[in-house]
Amino acid sequence: MNVLLLAINFAAVAVVLGAWWLSTGQGWIAPIFLPSPGDVLHAARIKIANGDLLTDVVVSARRVFLGFGLAAMVSIPLGIVMGVWRPAKAIMDPFVSLLRPLPSITWIPLSILWLGIGELQKVAIVFMGSWIYILLYTYESTRRVDPLLLRAARNLGAGDGAVMWEVILPGALPGIIGGLKVTLAISWSCVLTAEMIAAQSGLGALIWQAKDWGNLPLVLVGMLCISLTVLVADWLALRLELVLLPWERGRRG
Amino acid sequence: MPAILTARNVTKTYDAGRSGQVVAVQDLSLDIEEGEFVCLLGASGCGKSTMLSLFAGFIQPTTGEVALRGTPITGIEPRCGVVFQSYALFPWRTVRGNVEFGLKMQGVGRAARRERGQAFIDLVKLTGFEERYPTELSGGMQQRVTLARILAANPAVLLMDEPFAALDAMTRQVMQEELLRIHATSHKTTVFITHSLDEALILSDRIVVMSPRPGRIKAVIPNPLPRPRHVAMQITPEYMALKSSLWQLVEAEMAHHDETSSPQD
Repeated sequence: MNVLLLAINFAAVAVVLGAWWLSTGQGWIAPIFLPSPGDVLHAARIKIANGDLLTDVVVSARRVFLGFGLAAMVSIPLGIVMGVWRPAKAIMDPFVSLLRPLPSITWIPLSILWLGIGELQKVAIVFMGSWIYILLYTYESTRRVDPLLLRAARNLGAGDGAVMWEVILPGALPGIIGGLKVTLAISWSCVLTAEMIAAQSGLGALIWQAKDWGNLPLVLVGMLCISLTVLVADWLALRLELVLLPWERGRRG
Repeated sequence: MPAILTARNVTKTYDAGRSGQVVAVQDLSLDIEEGEFVCLLGASGCGKSTMLSLFAGFIQPTTGEVALRGTPITGIEPRCGVVFQSYALFPWRTVRGNVEFGLKMQGVGRAARRERGQAFIDLVKLTGFEERYPTELSGGMQQRVTLARILAANPAVLLMDEPFAALDAMTRQVMQEELLRIHATSHKTTVFITHSLDEALILSDRIVVMSPRPGRIKAVIPNPLPRPRHVAMQITPEYMALKSSLWQLVEAEMAHHDETSSPQD
């Protein structure tokens, strides 16, 4: 990245941090509305020192990983089949239409009734919030594979199997991975919702409990932690993308 | 010599929604002989691309028959290899991966594939670019890859759909010379679509002039220009005379077309 742009990035963050520090330090904003950066740092230090913060991150990340992974395992194959075989699309369409408008939070009552309030229920909420998006992205990416490439492959002697493995899958892969990236952020918001409503651990629970104790600095620590975790997940996804999609390297610069 | 590729009374009509049916090709018959280089020449809408799609088996005739060595073409026919105007390279495969694709589909082993693929990469002068991806290449280089890919698959007939139309004039000339060189050694039967008189004259043994709406053959002109040919030939009197007579044919067709076509198209 351009050095100047990077400098602007840092400057912008510094200005906002400075304004925060100044306004809370001078008492322009009461601590019960916004704690000072120092208070937040102090809360974070305690939580890091006793290991609670790391535990919460790991617990939340595991729930996301399981729910999201399960959704990908179901939805990617299903989306591809829908893309190449019309009847499968016709079967799935009504269910997708009915389930898509439901935010994952609406599944909480039923999921608690069926699965209790253990890990499985959190994973299920993540799953229910993720699978339709992965399905739709995969379906769209499969449909959008250039028909000219399918013709070219068949003209070069490819049969149905080869067209699937050599053209449709690699052709749809960038779109599928793009969809996974978007959905991963959605999965994170699902797990936090689930944790806020019924959980003893995880970043969502941390924030909700801190709220109940009136510990605003800890709420902010939880929020920052979510941002950082998703940023790290995005960075990992980008690395993975570069490995899986070497032909897109040029396009991404 | 026997015909390798034939069209017998081929008519192809398309549904065009409310405006009814469009006749893309009407009652067209054509024999293409083994080793021959034939150019289909005509303005847009004359059905030349439709003919190519019929020969490739991408579409089927409404009536009549197209056949390869006497066998009707009823589905996508790998023995009629197509060079697409927009290259149609697989973006996720390197130059080598693209060139070896047809061989892989034919079940050729890895080592043999590599060796034969390399020979065609060398033939189209892309040595050193084997591990590049198509997006990293210029248009001319991408078209070379397409050419190498189809030649490596070794089809019986080469179908080329205005392959150089998207290239700049200089690159186009270089590619024409390359194609002449390759044809001189491979003698592969080639059907080449173009709307350029010069391209048709430089490349072909025979020029099929087509006329639009409905698409049909206006004239078939043998091209007596001696081989080997090169672009410099375009200033000889013999060439000029040929081009002039070809132009009269095409021009008459265009004028006729202008008179008969309705204002809204």
